[in-house]
Amino acid sequence: MVHADRKPVLLLVDDQPAIHRLLAVKLRNEELEFLTAFTGEEALELAKEQQPSLILLDLTMPGMSGFEVLKALKENTDTMEIPVIIVSGSTDSRHKVRAFELGAMDYVCKPFDVPELRARIQSAIKLHRLMKMLEQRAQIDGLTGLWNRAYFDKRLEIELNSRRRTNRPLALVICDLDHFKLLNDNYGHPAGDTVLQGFASLLNHELRSSDVACRYGGEEFALILPETTPDEAIRACDRIRLAIDAKSWKNYEGLSATASFGLAHSDDLPVETAEEWIEAADSALYEAKRGGRNQVHAYGHGLAAGGALEIDEPPTEQAA
Amino acid sequence: MSNDPIYSAFAEDEEMAELVEMFVEEMPDRISSLQDAWESSARNDLQNIAHQLKGSSAGYGFAAVGRSAADLEDALKDMERELASVKAEFDALLNLCSRVSA
Repeated sequence: MVHADRKPVLLLVDDQPAIHRLLAVKLRNEELEFLTAFTGEEALELAKEQQPSLILLDLTMPGMSGFEVLKALKENTDTMEIPVIIVSGSTDSRHKVRAFELGAMDYVCKPFDVPELRARIQSAIKLHRLMKMLEQRAQIDGLTGLWNRAYFDKRLEIELNSRRRTNRPLALVICDLDHFKLLNDNYGHPAGDTVLQGFASLLNHELRSSDVACRYGGEEFALILPETTPDEAIRACDRIRLAIDAKSWKNYEGLSATASFGLAHSDDLPVETAEEWIEAADSALYEAKRGGRNQVHAYGHGLAAGGALEIDEPPTEQAA
Repeated sequence: MSNDPIYSAFAEDEEMAELVEMFVEEMPDRISSLQDAWESSARNDLQNIAHQLKGSSAGYGFAAVGRSAADLEDALKDMERELASVKAEFDALLNLCSRVSA
């Protein structure tokens, strides 16, 4: 997690305590928090756990060399985005080239000039913050503020990979606002936008912070619910279904909106690929639409909530 | 070779005073590791200590020590040179280190 209000954290990696002490004093007015590591191994662990904003890395250390640490940082998805400034006694241009090839953001020679090092640190932190912001903006849907399709595709792969390792339960829901085209035609596009935004805010309200709500396209939304049993997933969908059904839309008298839900759960799905997961949720959504809309269907079980069912009844096949 | 004490360029800098003092206090340890490495002909160790001194000394206001350490490191990197032939660079560094004062 990136904490916007947290002071940037700088991880200093150098085998010499004398360098740590010197930098702690010289950088103490810089609005930075410090983490220190004296070996490469220690640095890798701290980088992964603490997610610092910037790493200052020495090259010549006993044990893992700075180059080995840099390579390991850049190969691990947890640490690859953290900018690294090499701070080395070596002025050899081959070392500098190698550092940049391995993904270092900058290279400062020891003995360093303190004002220059300060300026380079601030510049690296600023650049990193802007990159993070751009990256996040590119993954967010402008109208609803939910994650967008590109993020969904990436995140579903991540969740499926983690499921392959841990075998933890996972649920995928695709939901769609009912008769959305008609709503747009009758009330106008601003009304349609209002409903999309209203639905998005219901999703944010009803889901846990560990769930991932995305705008999948048009009036279609995709929800990734990690560590969720089939029953919990159905209940979550039904809470959202009831909430959107009950919601009143000020400025649009007579307007009502409902949504249909298709659920795929790891208990019912031997398949592994993202395409197969999406297909399964999509086919359940199709059944929910065909069954009369404003209901929740579960892949492999049929109608699960809404329609003629009360939420507490066990799922049946009857209404598919 | 002179034996006059060498003072840090930051001797008057209040925020540095304590740091410089610690750096000077650690000097005898560095000197004995330099001597140990020399006596046991541990070329790599010698090169590492020189490298460290090069990196840290100037930051504490002892630029001359840093330059001398860089000379020794460069001499040791030249594999054409026998260890015995860098005695002058080694002695120069040892002399400077022993004169460092707070």
